[in-house]
Amino acid sequence: MTTLRTPRSLGKTAVTLVTGLVLAVLVVPIALTFVSSFAQSATGVVPTGFVTFEHWRTALGLTDVGARRGIGSGLWFSVLLATGGMVVNLVVGVPIAYALTRYEFRGREWLNTLAVLPLVPGIILGIAFLRTYPDNAGTAFGLVVGYALLKSPYMVLTVQSAFQSMDLRQLEESARSLGASWPRTFVTVIVPNARGGILAGSIITWTLAAAEFNFTYMVYTRGPKPFSLFLYENISRAPFLQSAAAISMYFCLVVAAILVLQTVGRHGFTTT
Amino acid sequence: MSTSTWFELSAARDTLTPETERDRRRRRILVLCAPFLVLAAVAAFVPLATMVRMSVSTDRFANVGFSASAWRTLATDPLYRQVAVNTLWFAAATSAVSVALGVAVSHAFAKYSLPFERVLVSVVSFPIALPGIVVAFMVVALLGRQGLVTNAVAFFSGQGPIDLATATTVTGLFVGYVYSLLPRATMVLRGTYAEVNTDAEQAARALGADPLRTFYYVTLPEIRPGIVAALLLTFRTALAIFGTVLVLQGLNVATLQLSQVISVGYESQIAAGIGLVYFAFILAVTFVGLRYTEADVIRR
Repeated sequence: MTTLRTPRSLGKTAVTLVTGLVLAVLVVPIALTFVSSFAQSATGVVPTGFVTFEHWRTALGLTDVGARRGIGSGLWFSVLLATGGMVVNLVVGVPIAYALTRYEFRGREWLNTLAVLPLVPGIILGIAFLRTYPDNAGTAFGLVVGYALLKSPYMVLTVQSAFQSMDLRQLEESARSLGASWPRTFVTVIVPNARGGILAGSIITWTLAAAEFNFTYMVYTRGPKPFSLFLYENISRAPFLQSAAAISMYFCLVVAAILVLQTVGRHGFTTT
Repeated sequence: MSTSTWFELSAARDTLTPETERDRRRRRILVLCAPFLVLAAVAAFVPLATMVRMSVSTDRFANVGFSASAWRTLATDPLYRQVAVNTLWFAAATSAVSVALGVAVSHAFAKYSLPFERVLVSVVSFPIALPGIVVAFMVVALLGRQGLVTNAVAFFSGQGPIDLATATTVTGLFVGYVYSLLPRATMVLRGTYAEVNTDAEQAARALGADPLRTFYYVTLPEIRPGIVAALLLTFRTALAIFGTVLVLQGLNVATLQLSQVISVGYESQIAAGIGLVYFAFILAVTFVGLRYTEADVIRR
């Protein structure tokens, strides 16, 4: 087939320029922040004085100066919270994703909307939690439950798309005809076949929960400080370069997550 | 006992101790959905119901008595009308700009051969993982007092960077919103572009239509459902943005007002009222939007 060769059109040039500009605006601040975190000064147009790990050490709480805003025990607390939220999402999200994909039933559309769309903004959920669970809103329990609800759509959507690419009926019937009970079929045949999607969903929900801010900000009162609040303190109060180091920690986490996601065949955080 | 109650009870018993395959199937669906429904009840239904009670409480710290004064304030105070106007126009404008730019980006991804396309796709999707406060810092890194763009302009114009910084103005906030929304719009539109029928486009070109006309008359109608879906998603996302606006301020939108009402004076009734109106509005937008996108898909 012959492709039409026209002279490079004005439209194409314009679209390419817009795309280039958009990509630059998205990537330049990320790169700048990461590079700045190793610089000694950021007063000019570009950061200068490389390479120093001072800001990273301060942000990590390894020096005396930044001890107040260092991350310290909060990091482990956040890891625990995000893992808790992810586990709840696995227990909650995988079964409902299967029910919504495999079966037709009354109210399915409604349930689907409820499960895949984040309907309650984090800040509103936070205010509601303050009154509903006055003693537990800001504890590990409250935070895990909140994260689980706020991030569950990402798990359901990702696992659902994995189930949609499988012939569930045939898979289920083959296993059943070979003598497996229905629960056994679900646990040993269906779930392992969707492991790529389940892994992707777990990584996405974990990463998003690890940096959840809006809900956390509303319900937090005392105790170890979650990671997102540590980021907020740095962003709102610490010097530019130290904030850059704190944020770069999260960048490293996201890059790691994206790399793992790509090994299971996904283009980063593409679920919406 | 009425007949209908008896039927419901017997249906419930059949679901719990099923004898037929249909009952077993119903039990399976129930078992599969139960964990989610428990989570939704504990983390959403009960808190939202509590919030309704909270909005008409006479006490700021506990649910007691009945007073509609918070609702009256919300309905009559010009401050809240201003907040609503700010929230709506800002979310609408940032969504529209994000989707328009998203169309350009996904068009380039789909139609032109860009270098390092896989890396570029990752670059576009990266900001989806960033919380609002980090997005705010991205704006500060570009437009703040120590920002790259600010200092570059200061260098060439000779003005002071402090006068040129726009991070904490409406402009900065606008950039922050678009930074969050554009990647989401692009991801939706890329999916739509993947399904566009290229034969029709090539036919149009072969028959002499220039690229612009081909886009307007052939491509655009095909990607319209994607545009609607992307607008819906970005608008809903824009309404929920809080971290970015907390750091940058710039404009008093509903989420910022909500946090101020709580942190200054703990006016929990007002906060609950705003929260409920907001939730109801997002729900309405979602369902109207879903109906519209479905109708659009059918008409196609």
